[in-house]
Amino acid sequence: MNIKLMIAVIAAKLAASLSRMFGGKGSSLPGVVARRIYQGTLRDLAKQARKDIIMVTGTNGKTTTNNMIASVIASTGCKIVINQEGANLITGVTTAFIRYANWLGRIDCDYALLEVDEASFPKVLREISPQMVVVNNFFRDQLDRYGELDKTVTLVREALKDLPQVHLILNSDDPLVAQMQQATGHSATFFGLAPNQRPATGSQQTREARFCPMCGEELQYENYQYSQLGSFVCPGCSFKRPEPEIEGFAIETVGSVLNASVKYHQAMTTLSIHTHGFYNVYNALAAFTVGSLIGIKPEQIAKGLLTYRPAIGRMETFFYQGKPAILNLVKNPTGYNEGVNSLLSIAGTKTVFMAINDNDADGKDISWLWDVDFEHMVKANHEIELFVCSGLRAEEMALRLKYAGIPLEQITVIKEMEPAIKKALEGPGKLTYLFSTYTALWSAQKILLALAEKEVPHAEGVSSIS
Amino acid sequence: MLKVCHLYPDLLNLYGDRGNIIAFVQRCHWRGIPVEVVEVNVGESVDFEEIDFLFLGGGSDREQNLMAADLLLRKESLRQAIEKGLVVLAICGGYQMLGQYYLTHEGQKIPGLGILDLYTRAGEKRLIGNIVIESSINGVPVKIAGFENHSGQTFIGDMEPLGKVVSGFGNNGQDHLEGARYKNVFCSYLHGPLLPKNSSLTDLLIQLALQRRGLESTLSQLNNDLEEAAVGVIVERLVK
Ligand SMILES: [Zn+2]
Repeated sequence: MNIKLMIAVIAAKLAASLSRMFGGKGSSLPGVVARRIYQGTLRDLAKQARKDIIMVTGTNGKTTTNNMIASVIASTGCKIVINQEGANLITGVTTAFIRYANWLGRIDCDYALLEVDEASFPKVLREISPQMVVVNNFFRDQLDRYGELDKTVTLVREALKDLPQVHLILNSDDPLVAQMQQATGHSATFFGLAPNQRPATGSQQTREARFCPMCGEELQYENYQYSQLGSFVCPGCSFKRPEPEIEGFAIETVGSVLNASVKYHQAMTTLSIHTHGFYNVYNALAAFTVGSLIGIKPEQIAKGLLTYRPAIGRMETFFYQGKPAILNLVKNPTGYNEGVNSLLSIAGTKTVFMAINDNDADGKDISWLWDVDFEHMVKANHEIELFVCSGLRAEEMALRLKYAGIPLEQITVIKEMEPAIKKALEGPGKLTYLFSTYTALWSAQKILLALAEKEVPHAEGVSSIS
Repeated sequence: MLKVCHLYPDLLNLYGDRGNIIAFVQRCHWRGIPVEVVEVNVGESVDFEEIDFLFLGGGSDREQNLMAADLLLRKESLRQAIEKGLVVLAICGGYQMLGQYYLTHEGQKIPGLGILDLYTRAGEKRLIGNIVIESSINGVPVKIAGFENHSGQTFIGDMEPLGKVVSGFGNNGQDHLEGARYKNVFCSYLHGPLLPKNSSLTDLLIQLALQRRGLESTLSQLNNDLEEAAVGVIVERLVK
């Protein structure tokens, strides 16, 4: 019996109950407490996973991918540990294990599924050795907190290099991600999309990786999916888009379901996922790849993915007096552009709500709003009669819309969230589309839950098997 | 017709730099002043004499080096155009580049274009955060707000600053000065971006560009409520 671990876990669980009593989410405090009492908490808890530890890192889609993997693995009856939405720093990861541990510090689980923040990734890897690491994409994100993108990519690459052994699951279409096999020397399985899968509305503006990560030459592209994702080849060295083993194609949205076909080796299968947004196909392909690597049959993976439900703010759908309202987290230009594109792909009139905060977790620098192509929405102006801007930096959001060319009379600033959301829900559109930065997300969801019906049960933590 | 030149938009696309171009163009647009934007990338030719407003932004280290190499080739023609009144807005790396040199941590002097009397040296820590400065535009005191994020510390010689720091770091976190002004050149560490919120500065740039061409430069009034509100949020937070 590990007495130190036991004491740490007990203290952490007490802290969690206390924190909940005072209305906290308790997603990092227990981890902080336990780690202070016993530094080996995370290491000792994590090694109890009977099978694999699987980590997801990268910029966009970590939560979605991790929850999709959970849906796939849980559908086979395996027991999992998963960290909660956004609690992806080392304290959040520690908290996840504590939540699943009993008072003796014992965990009964087959797989641990962890989304890990890029900046915390090296730190977490010093305490846990994953069998698999999924890397989805790298985009510019919250510059003032992490420094520039190059540094983030280097951080992840060096951390992976230091691992004695790991299998990588990599997006073949993102040069910043695809380089990880060559650069780290680890084994890898690539997933990607067949060329030219995205609807033509794509934004050309935000491209992160113009230069070969291997030799520095400017990359050439045969085609783009979005941002810097596409079929790239370096004229200076042998680096090019790896041929993906798992390839998605024939993407379509039917109602609230996203369909895609997957080609793997010689076989093919079709996936249906309850979500919107082209980029979510990448997340599903990553989950598919993990599933097949641990030996789950493709039909079973598809079944598992069908049970996936979006977590908070990942295209989460509500109904207000029968009218749909979609909540979408935004944190960087690429994500916001994709959100705008998916909003524009929905037919009919829309009311748009945008909450911009500039707290630490949002990124204090909101200049990235000027890198988002809101100009696309001007063309669809007749379909969007009202823009409601809210949050700590509502005025800057409104200003961005004004300079994008949206007429002033269509822009309303209501700094307080509740009246702003109400205004948007009662707006003239047949659908309400809500964008929110990170720290505005929970209050937005809370307000929506109070005012509107939720479409489906919440997928948080996949509670059915925990 | 005013001709706006966005230098190296491919390389220097950090921190919403594009917003500065958007603001200049839209405020011309709303007043019926015809305007055209030319984007000039590494190796492409441009005649600065034909340009009315030049924007030079900042990038990450690697991109900054590529831009510096290209810009050094254009040094003389840029200097001449500036002496003849070319309107320029240079932010962050673009600002540093116009100066004499950049002194690295290792004591290496990387030469700049040497057009302005200023130099930059690498600082110990990054100067990051919201910033408010007080400037004078056409004789009227104006509060300008933005966000700064730079490790270089710039010291200006015999030049006007863009403004005095009210809250934040400014050029170097020591002398309470922010940015630099020389003829029609405006330099600053404020991105944010700078022009959309700070409309009186944008209008000054438009005015100067029109004057340089001998065009009518009285600008019609626009509704600036949102601009002022966006600046107001930062001012209220930082200045109490
Ligand atoms: Zn190369």
